[in-house]
Amino acid sequence: MGYLGEIFVMAMTAIFIQNFVLSRFLGLCPYLGVSKKLDSAMGMGLAVIFVMTLASAFTFLIQKYLLIALGLEYLQTIAFILTIAALVQFVEMVIQKNAPALYKSLGVYLPLITTNCAVLGVAILNTKTFRSDGITPYNFLDATLNGFFSGVGFTFVLLAMAGLRMRLEMAPLPKSMKGMPISLILAGIMALAFYGFMGFKI
Amino acid sequence: MSFIKELSKGIVKENPIFVIVLGMCPTLAVSTSVQNALGMGLAATFVLMCSNMIISLIKDITPEKIRIPIYIVVIAAFVTIVDMAMAAYVPDLHKSLGIFIPLIVVNCIILGRAEAFASKNNILNSLADAIGMGAGFTLSLTVVATIREILGNGTWLNIQVLPKTYQPMLVAILAPGAFITLGFLMALINLIKERR
Amino acid sequence: MKYYITLTLTLLIFCAVASGILAYVNSLTSPIIADRKAQEEIATRALLIPGAEFTEHKAKADTNFVYYVASKDSTVVGYTFIATGTGYAGPVKTMVGLDKDLKVITIKVTDQAETPGLGANCTKEDFPERFKGRAEAELMVDKDIGPTGIKSLTGATITTRAIANSIRGQILMLKADLDTAGETL
Repeated sequence: MGYLGEIFVMAMTAIFIQNFVLSRFLGLCPYLGVSKKLDSAMGMGLAVIFVMTLASAFTFLIQKYLLIALGLEYLQTIAFILTIAALVQFVEMVIQKNAPALYKSLGVYLPLITTNCAVLGVAILNTKTFRSDGITPYNFLDATLNGFFSGVGFTFVLLAMAGLRMRLEMAPLPKSMKGMPISLILAGIMALAFYGFMGFKI
Repeated sequence: MSFIKELSKGIVKENPIFVIVLGMCPTLAVSTSVQNALGMGLAATFVLMCSNMIISLIKDITPEKIRIPIYIVVIAAFVTIVDMAMAAYVPDLHKSLGIFIPLIVVNCIILGRAEAFASKNNILNSLADAIGMGAGFTLSLTVVATIREILGNGTWLNIQVLPKTYQPMLVAILAPGAFITLGFLMALINLIKERR
Repeated sequence: MKYYITLTLTLLIFCAVASGILAYVNSLTSPIIADRKAQEEIATRALLIPGAEFTEHKAKADTNFVYYVASKDSTVVGYTFIATGTGYAGPVKTMVGLDKDLKVITIKVTDQAETPGLGANCTKEDFPERFKGRAEAELMVDKDIGPTGIKSLTGATITTRAIANSIRGQILMLKADLDTAGETL
């Protein structure tokens, strides 16, 4: 399989087969918290794609050239979370200065991303996963692409959820089911649907 | 007096999972078995207790502007300690919790308590708050895991509780089952609250 | 400006203290972890090919691949190695014991985080049965090559396939290395 095939497998896996939210259970807080309206879900999703891609790239470099090179693997958690926090802060400042329009739509979501476990999750998973042959560890490009595709997978289900929840607002429901309970059950049904992708052989 | 009050609020009135709805990722991901749930709950409680105490202790020397990064460093340090200790002494549990141990760092409950409580209260009350919240988290996690393990595997804490002839309801252990179980549990709690 | 320097310094001090503590804890726990891993590997190897002596070999072409040659009374009886595949929820590590014709004697899954009740069933006792006696070409799951293949775990074809494929890959590497060595050791 050529490199393009490898990328395709990675994209399909991250978006459908092992979707970050529905099968890996990462990034649930924003998934349940920011999915009430479609446009805020869109903003959050784009911000997450952006940060996840950058974070994957940076943490890969830190892991390879700092932690492993110096034998400091046990500092992984601290180093990664600080990198992500710093990255988020930096992205926020840059966007605020250079693209005020973008900042207006993304700004409020950026600080929330530091504590989005999907970002730290993808960074840690990148250091532990292999390509489809099972022995080659991810290289820099693999890790970055995986971050990007995982972000896309997250955004995809976030948007779907927001669309469905907006309709749920109007639905006649028992009072005790309103809000979080029905959203969780909805998420469960979505996860069931995603299980349909699991058997696919690629 | 206030110690008891801070301790008990986390278990029922401000239960982190069912009432405040925080820390959903570990709740759903590691509640596949009661053993995992207890392990996760205890690990998170330990981190919460240590971080709450330290953060309360350093609240006067923490500059306002960089308090979040400092909290994160404190929490991440304790998480790493727990991670290493578990790898050394309970390797099987460490393996089955996997990536969710380092992810305790971003468990919103811990950072949330640091920001909302420990940074404003004294060390004793912060400890009480941590124990209460940790107990509430562990308890809720165990309840979800109990339902999922019994339905999905016929066992509780690896002990066979349903007859062997029971065909396990696999979906309860898979990802969809986690969402649906938690959804119905929350609806049940809302219902009880309404009736009262 | 001075204010920012103070901020940076404070954060730096916190990081330094935290790293110091972690370095200390790491120095306490890492020997225990390493020791436990080594013990586990020795125990598993002895379980796969009982009563044999093991000598470590590093593959010539690929320094990452390490295998052990099992011998009884200085004749080679088999080989063991660790195969790593990517399962449903992360890496799955399997210890494999091969006889001298490179057919599987038995396997043991040593490291996995698969779904309990599905993929995690690969640690159950009846799972290795499905692999016994198979040579490299026969290590395919039934979903890929039909009924002669390895029977997949219910609802966990991904796990089974990951294990089978990882073993197959390693056997090929072992074969290549034995060939370049020009001897059967």
